[in-house]
This record gives sequence, C-alpha cells and structure tokens, in this order.
Amino acid sequence: MTGPTLAALLAQAAPLAAWVVVLLGLRGRARAAAAVAIAGLAISFAASVWLVVAVAIPDRSLLAQTVFLPVDASHALAFGVLLDPLSTVMALVVATITLAVMVYSTGYMRGDPGFARYYGFLALFGWAMQGLVLSANLLQTLVFWELVGLASFLLIGFWFDRPAPAAAARKAFLMTRVGDVGFLLGVLLLIRALGLATIPDVVAAAGAGGGLSPRLVTVTAALLLMGVIGKSAQGPLFTWLPDAMEGPTPVSALLHSATMVAAGVYLVARLHPFFLAAPAVMHALLYLALATALATATMAMVASDIKRVLAYSTISQLGYMLMGLAAGSTAAGFFHLTTHAGFKALLFLSAGIFIHHAHSNEMREINARGALAQRAGAIGLVAGSAALAGIIPFSGYFSKEAILGAVGVAAGRWVVALAYLGAGLTAYYAFRMVFLTLVPTNGGTEARRHGGTDAPAHGGTEAQTHGGGERAMNWTVQVLAALTLVLGYLGPWFGARLSPGEPAHGPFAIGLGAVAALALVAAGIGLAWHEFGRPGAARIGFAERIPALAGFFGDNWYLDRLYRATVIRWATALSRAAHWNDERVVNGATDGLANGTVGGGRLLALVQNGYVQAYLAVVVTLIAVLAAVLSRFGGVR
Amino acid sequence: MTPLAGYLTISVALFCIGLYGLVQRRSLIAMLIALELMLAAASLNVVALTTLAAGTPAGVVPRQIGAGHASSVGQVVALILIGVAAAEAAIALSLFVAIQRYASTINVEDLSELKG
Repeated sequence: MTGPTLAALLAQAAPLAAWVVVLLGLRGRARAAAAVAIAGLAISFAASVWLVVAVAIPDRSLLAQTVFLPVDASHALAFGVLLDPLSTVMALVVATITLAVMVYSTGYMRGDPGFARYYGFLALFGWAMQGLVLSANLLQTLVFWELVGLASFLLIGFWFDRPAPAAAARKAFLMTRVGDVGFLLGVLLLIRALGLATIPDVVAAAGAGGGLSPRLVTVTAALLLMGVIGKSAQGPLFTWLPDAMEGPTPVSALLHSATMVAAGVYLVARLHPFFLAAPAVMHALLYLALATALATATMAMVASDIKRVLAYSTISQLGYMLMGLAAGSTAAGFFHLTTHAGFKALLFLSAGIFIHHAHSNEMREINARGALAQRAGAIGLVAGSAALAGIIPFSGYFSKEAILGAVGVAAGRWVVALAYLGAGLTAYYAFRMVFLTLVPTNGGTEARRHGGTDAPAHGGTEAQTHGGGERAMNWTVQVLAALTLVLGYLGPWFGARLSPGEPAHGPFAIGLGAVAALALVAAGIGLAWHEFGRPGAARIGFAERIPALAGFFGDNWYLDRLYRATVIRWATALSRAAHWNDERVVNGATDGLANGTVGGGRLLALVQNGYVQAYLAVVVTLIAVLAAVLSRFGGVR
Repeated sequence: MTPLAGYLTISVALFCIGLYGLVQRRSLIAMLIALELMLAAASLNVVALTTLAAGTPAGVVPRQIGAGHASSVGQVVALILIGVAAAEAAIALSLFVAIQRYASTINVEDLSELKG
C-alpha cells in the first residue's frame, strides 16, 4: 500500500477506534471519553491534511481497492478508497468541522449526563462520514450513507427522554429512508447492468461509448437522485431537517448543516459526469433545487427560532449547491459546499453560545437576555451572516457568484432571475436574524413580551443543565470566523482541479452579474434594517404582517399537514390492515393449529385410562379379531 | 369325540376361565391365579398335542421305551412350564409386595398413575 492509501485508512480507522473504545470502556468517564474522541479525530484530521497535500495539491487521482464480493466470473465488487482532489478536500472539511465541533462541545455539553455517549456518537459519525467520502464503490458508499443516517438518528434523539427529540429523530430516519430506497435500487440496477459499482468505472460506462444505454443512465440517475433528495433535504423530503434542530446545537452544526446533509451534494459531485449524461434528470434537479431554495428562504423569513432559521437557510443553500451542479459546474457546487460548511458551522456554533446563555432558542428571548455581551458569539453571527448573505469579501460571496455564474451560462432567463431573487431573500433573512438577535431593543420589555409566551416551553429544551465552558466555545467560533475570510479565495484552485474545462474567473472579476447580486443583497439587508435594525423599528417583517402568509411560511408551506393527511394516513391505514392481518389471520391460523393439536391430544389421551385390564381387554379383543380375519381370509387353514 | 378333543376342550375351558378371571378380578393376586390357570391350559395343550405327533393316543402308556419319546418331550416341556410358572409367581408376588408398600393397595383400579 502506498502512503496516501494508508493515510486514507488511518483517517477512517482512528474515529472508528475512538467510537469502539468510548462505547465499550468509557461510558461512565466523561473527560476520558472526550479526550479519546478528540484524539481520534485529531489523527483523522492530520491524515486528511496529509491527503490534501499528497493528492489534491499535485492534482493526482488514486484508486486502491481489494476484491470483496465476486459477482460472476469476470466481475467483482471491489471495496477500497478513491483519492482525488474532490474526496480528499471533502475529507479535510469533514475532519475539520468534526474536530471543531468536538472541541466546542467540551464547553457546550459540560455536565450533561450523556456526555460520554455524545462523544461516542460523534466519533461514530466521524468514521461513517470519512468512509462515505473516501469510498471507491457505490455499494460501500451506500453502507456508510446509512451509517451516517444512523448517527444522525442517534444524535437528533440524543435527549431521547423528551418526546420532541425522539419524534424528530424518528421522522428524520424514516424520511431519509424514503429517498434511500431509490438509492439502493439505483445501485442494484448499476451492479446488474455492469457487474460492478466502482465509481470511476460507473462514470466511464455512462459516457459516450460506455456500456450503458442512455435510458438506463437516466433511470439510474433519477433513482440515485432520490437518495440525494432525502439526504440533502430537498424537494418534497425536506421537512425532517427543521425538526432535526431538536438535537444539541453542535450536532446541528456538524450533521445538519456542514457535513452530513452535504453528503447528497457530494454524491452528485462525485458522480457528476454520470449525472450529466442524463440531461433530463439534471434539468429536473435544477428546477427542483431552485424551488426548494426559494421556498425554504421564505420559511426562514418568518421563523422565530434561531436554529430553525439556520435550518431553512441550510436547505436553501444546499439547493444552491445542487443548482450549481445541475448547471454543469462541479467546481461551483463543491466550492459552495466547502464555504457553506465553514460559515454554517460558524453560525450554528455562534447560535449555540447564545442558546447556552439565554437557555432559549427564541431570537427575541436571546436578545432580551443581552446577546451583545457574548462578544465571540456576536462576531461569529455577524461574520457568518455576512458570508451567508454573500457580502464581499466573505467566503459565501465568491462561491455564490460561482454558482450564479454557472446557472447563468446553462439555464434560461427566468431561472437565473429567480436564483438572483433567492440571493436577495437570503440576505434579508440572514440580517433579520442578526438584527433580531443582536440589536438591543428599548428596555427590552417589548421583546420580552414577544418571546416570553412560548419561551419557557422552548427554553427547557436545551442547555439547562449546562453552564460554563465558554473558552473552548469562543475559541472554536473565532477560528471558524477567521476561516470565512480565507475560504473564498480557494475558488480558482477548485476550478482548476474539478472543472478544468471551464473558463477561470478571478475572485474579484466583477461583471454585471456580480453587481446585480450585490445590489440585491444590499436591498435585502436594507429591508431587514428598515424592519428590524433601525431605532424604533417595529421588528415585525413584511411576511409576518399577513397572517395567512406567516402561517403558510411558518408551517413548512403546509407540507407536513399534506403528508399527515395523505401519505402518513395511507401508510397508517396500511399498517393497521397489516396488523389486523397479523393478529387475526396469521395468528389465528397458528393458534387454530396449536389448539387443534392440543384438543386432539386431549381426545386421544382418553384412551390412556391407566387401567391395565382395559388394555388387556383391548389386546385380547384385537388378537381375536385378527385370528378371525386371518382364519377367514389369510393363510391359516 | 376322541380323547384328544376332550383334552383340548378342557384346555380351552381353562384358558377362557383364566382370561375371564384376569380381566374381571381387581386384585392382583386373583389376577395372578387366573394367569396360572391360562398357563396350565397351555401346558395341557402341549401335552395333549405331542401325543398326537407320537401316534399314541393320550392316556395310553407307551409299551416300549423310545416308542413314544415325542410324548415324553411334551411332558418335559410341561414340567419346564410349571417351573417357569413357579419362578414367575415368585417374581410377581414380590412385585405385589413392593406395590403394596408403595401404594398401600394391590387393587388395579387404584393403580392408574399412567392415565393420560
């Protein structure tokens, strides 16, 4: 094995070892568990850095695999690692954010009774995500894909003794499962057609002169995309992500914004030439992602829970990433994934600082408790929001420009206009969040009245057992805030490696598109300032003034209600029928069989009356009968 | 009716009486006695029928030694059967004593532990 392969294995093995050690031996020892998990991720991080240096910077591509499952005489499923700039950079992103969240959590989760378990699950997630990123085979990807889903389930439901997180965990698990059925079918279809699922071979087979017919490519791409939609919370399957905010805030930062939900985007980038060979599917994805991005942006405009605002913005930004990929630019989509991982983790971790102090997720409540006193949190929130809104020179500006540029080249005028509108909405809700959280109100009484109604119920959900530990949290947030100023300049570097054919833009190549985007962003921020920021502002947004609109936006566009009224009701009816069938028909048949056997035994047991003379009489009678029969019909003459 | 038929009739009568007693009586000892009757019927059968094989009617003592040796075989078998019956009675009576000690009865109607 060569050095990079070993490093890739080490990057996966270290978190796995940490998970096993923590869950087997250190359940009761919080500090030791945290130390082991952080050490495991530090090793993984170092290995990922080395991978980037050895593979991504020289722009190499390596495939190391070992035959695992023979399919037929000439084909086999080979498992291994696929190392190229895409996978190694993603591995570094995952390791960085996981490590940052682990360090942050030493403060945030201090004193929680499940502290060791929490670190065990984080290490499990680290292993599964690294395995997903580095895997060389689609079947292997699917295995780790499900493992990150498991980690997500366990971490959303970390406080499983409360009903809301338990329900949210169930919802997330089941909803992503709907998409994963498609993923599984797609992989099986590929294995059936090709006899293998190694990623470079699959990509090669989809191209011109490959072994796959265009129709099969289209069907498979659509099926694989179902998994992407579920995991990356797009289209009709996104409502699990806002509910997933019931988990601890660092978990939201790690899984439900920066890395795990980006796995779907990563899969599309990983198989990008394959997907591009199915233009119809990519076209549909473009519209779906655009619709999702705009719809969830409107939901973020009316949410009052800071984590829900961030969750909706995550879905919206994932939509932008998929739009970039659907428009044909690997570099733009993946670039936005990288910068988004940095600034969204920053936003969540900053929000975590506020939640830690205010004991509430409500933005008005956080404000009333003096959010500005949390200096690091305020800096992180502003820097992260600036990056989210796309203000030059924060990282989000560059990546969003790249995506809008790619969409502008590939898509029609209306799609481009709507994508720009989405950028303006993003700026509006991002700064609505900033102003609502940070700008002090006059005396704070009004805010207290607003947030106080439902705050106690909400405030009980998080952080009430926690206190202290600010240093680790502040330090992590500051590092990530600095990163938002750096990551944006990686654009050309990504472009050269991931989309070598595309014309390279300098980071400050300001054309008409960039000016328009900046103008829309400025308009969005201005509106937010007018409604929420300026002294004497009413602090109620234009969408919140119309009750019908506020209700529609605030309730996931009534999608959950629709699901409850249709799919969930049908599924419940079906499972009731299955239950009845099981209870009555299946159980009835087995019960009847058992009862019949027992009853027959009882009847036959009457023969065994225990009287030796009765037996004797039977024996004699039978012999007599036998003798009579034999003497009449048999050989006895 | 030949003499042989008379012997056989008596034998059948003995056997039926024994069978009746075996089925009818509830005391183990009475059943054993009935069983002995059935055994005696069998012995009588053997003795009577071996005379037939030897050509000498039963009840006639053979004149020469060796001429009726088949009938003497029957008598030997009968003697062995009497010995077997004695041994069997010894075993059965000792079992009855054991049963009496265990269950305080030798009435077969009360000895029905194997009832299903």
